[in-house]
Amino acid sequence: MMSGVITFYSSQQVMKAEKILKNYNYEELLIPGPREISPNCGVAICFDYSKAEEIKELFKKEQILYEKICYYPEAKKISKWF
Amino acid sequence: MKENIVYFDNSATSWPKPKEVLKSIKYFTNEIGGSPGRSGHRMSIEASRLVEETREVIGEFFNYDNTSRIVFTKNITEALNICIFSLLKPGDHVITSSTEHNSVMRPLRFLEKKGLIISIINCSPNGNINISDIEKNINNNTKMVILTNASNVIGTILPIDEVAKITYKHKIPFVIDCAQTAGEIPINVNLKKYKNCVITFTGHKSLLGPTGTGGMCIGEDVKLMPIIFGGTGSKSDKDVQPDFLPDYIESGTLNILGLAGLKAGVSYLLKIGLNNIRNHEKLLLSKFIEGASKIKNIIIYGSKDPDAQVALMSFNFKNINPSTAGLILDKKYSIMCRVGLHCNPNAHKVIGTFPGGTIRFSFSYFNSLEEIDYSINALSKMSKIK
Repeated sequence: MMSGVITFYSSQQVMKAEKILKNYNYEELLIPGPREISPNCGVAICFDYSKAEEIKELFKKEQILYEKICYYPEAKKISKWF
Repeated sequence: MKENIVYFDNSATSWPKPKEVLKSIKYFTNEIGGSPGRSGHRMSIEASRLVEETREVIGEFFNYDNTSRIVFTKNITEALNICIFSLLKPGDHVITSSTEHNSVMRPLRFLEKKGLIISIINCSPNGNINISDIEKNINNNTKMVILTNASNVIGTILPIDEVAKITYKHKIPFVIDCAQTAGEIPINVNLKKYKNCVITFTGHKSLLGPTGTGGMCIGEDVKLMPIIFGGTGSKSDKDVQPDFLPDYIESGTLNILGLAGLKAGVSYLLKIGLNNIRNHEKLLLSKFIEGASKIKNIIIYGSKDPDAQVALMSFNFKNINPSTAGLILDKKYSIMCRVGLHCNPNAHKVIGTFPGGTIRFSFSYFNSLEEIDYSINALSKMSKIK
């Protein structure tokens, strides 16, 4: 179940991150960036928060510049829809 | 009209484009829409995806996988201006050649009035430079070397790989103008190694994309500055420019239709293979040189060696001026070409054709040997005009 969100400074990095998450078969969904979490890029990525640490490692390895990876209860509602 | 046109003006802009280019633009217009990097809905996301895919294709083409450092501009002139105005200030020293396009010379001359010191390396009438002249001119104050990969008038290919090595050794940024070469010959500068280099490119010539596209691949040691500031879709809570690439330099909505076309154009090149394209264009050039050399009253400029230059040829008639020749070629023979000074007075001074200029034929993968034969026949007839 998706329960976390990753925010970014730039949509270019979102596109790179999305591609990598897909390649590694992580559950992901692009959503309009939640402003209560970040004023930055217009798009964020919802994911399963239990995978947060491994995704951080993956982003480090792949040199993905993200802003925050955090718990996002709202994502559970999103999970029910998709 | 299209049926009878012989298009030999590919150095100005390539035509025709592969059918995939229009298909890609049409698909984006009808099916995707959306503004890249702005909104969070699927149409905007798909537009962002297209932009990133275009960076990836460009990266594959130039063998550079750091897509964050592949920046799009509206043309190569803008990319060159960004490099020049970022890296040079009054009192600095820059090295360039005597065959540079006005997109390089005009910004340099503008800065010269404010105190920039310019060393111009003289090219031979064949368009070659002596590499050692570049190293000899480097001093402690040299902040940039900027060179065309091949001039748009003479077409001689300059050894940018050698210049990359020299400038890397001296830790000086090297900006390469690939307007006439990207998509026609391999650009043998490895940016992962030569991090001091910037490859600038235009999208609408040999990369086969539409006009309004261009950009640059920026080596990791080169720090550029924007010349346009504004909305980027990132760090929107701040009224100061974000400091990361590509956003730092890409303010305002990108030319997404143009990039859709550019992606298709470069993908086409990758599919056909640069070697096949280069071999075909060399064949056209050889045949043209062979035929034109036999015509009395025609003077051909440059190396006359298809291995040493890109597929363009400057020439003149002894009996008619370039302007008249251009008119006859268009109106009587339906051959499209560019006559005059080609925005490059300096290169014409090198070959001794300033201020009259030349007639320039520039070929593409889509030209045929039959078209070369037809043009040689036309030139032969024109050479007899009294």
